[in-house]
Amino acid sequence: MNTKKKTNRFSYIFLALTLALYLFVAFTSPDKAILALGKSMQILQQVVPILVIVLLLTALMNILIKPQTISKYLGNSSGIKGWFIALFGGVISHGSSYIWYPVLQDFRLHGARNGLIIAFLYARAIKLPWLPMMISYFGWGFTLVLTVYILIGAFIQGLISDGILSRNEALVPEDH
Amino acid sequence: MHAKERSLEGLKELLVPFIYHTIMKQDNKTSMISKVLQQALRSFVDILPMLIATIGLVGLIQAYMSPEMLHAFFQGNILSDTLIGTISGGVAVGQPIISYIIGGELLHEGVSYYAVTAFILSWVTLGLIQLPFEASTLGLRFTLVRNLLAFAFAVIIALAVGLTLRVLA
Repeated sequence: MNTKKKTNRFSYIFLALTLALYLFVAFTSPDKAILALGKSMQILQQVVPILVIVLLLTALMNILIKPQTISKYLGNSSGIKGWFIALFGGVISHGSSYIWYPVLQDFRLHGARNGLIIAFLYARAIKLPWLPMMISYFGWGFTLVLTVYILIGAFIQGLISDGILSRNEALVPEDH
Repeated sequence: MHAKERSLEGLKELLVPFIYHTIMKQDNKTSMISKVLQQALRSFVDILPMLIATIGLVGLIQAYMSPEMLHAFFQGNILSDTLIGTISGGVAVGQPIISYIIGGELLHEGVSYYAVTAFILSWVTLGLIQLPFEASTLGLRFTLVRNLLAFAFAVIIALAVGLTLRVLA
């Protein structure tokens, strides 16, 4: 069985387990199950439209952008430009992290460095739309200090993971 | 309209015309549209089971976990509270605003900045519930390395933020 089939099988097992959990909760405390279902539907409504756009964008990039281009901007020789793209991209990206996983995996398959992907994901901890809210809860000082440390942390994690993960790591989940 | 909804609307307004114009610029538009739609649909179908399962679990956790349950974990020791903040933030799920509200309440009730920083940071960088989805998309080793680093850095950054604020105060 190839890796992709194994992954799909695991997805369906995970879905079946979640459904079983819902059934169990529905029998033991029906009001909690209804509450959980309502919250899940809210999240789904928020996530699906943006996910569809992101997947369309991924497909378009896949067709139009050559692997050499991604390799140039996010690959081994991307230098400071690569770090800037990863950190800035992470800060301005929207939506839940899991929406970005397929896009990022695609970048990896086209030669993007693991360190830059990890830096991108960590820089997403800076939530631009929520910054005013954070300032109102914790103040300017806290928000500024935390934001700077997150960027430094994202950069250091990228460096560390570049040392730990091999370049062929991206080929593990799918048979490309 | 909430800030989050506004930002998502902004993203849609930016990306949809970009996708449209990029396709319209191509010579073979019909074949391009069909290729893009096919590939996007295939990706969507591929990730749908895991996505539904992940969102379902997120809903369940949100239904069961309350701020009072979280507050009961913190004991007053900087190191153990920072670790507890990291773990509880990593397990908890939801929009960042929820972590700010809970974090603000915890701070108000005397929990340290170290623990609250670790909590709100791991809330957005760690995702126990999302682990299977992340591993199935990006690979198990990558997922493990990323999450272990995010865990360690939630603790390190929380301690650094707490110390910096103490020095600046």
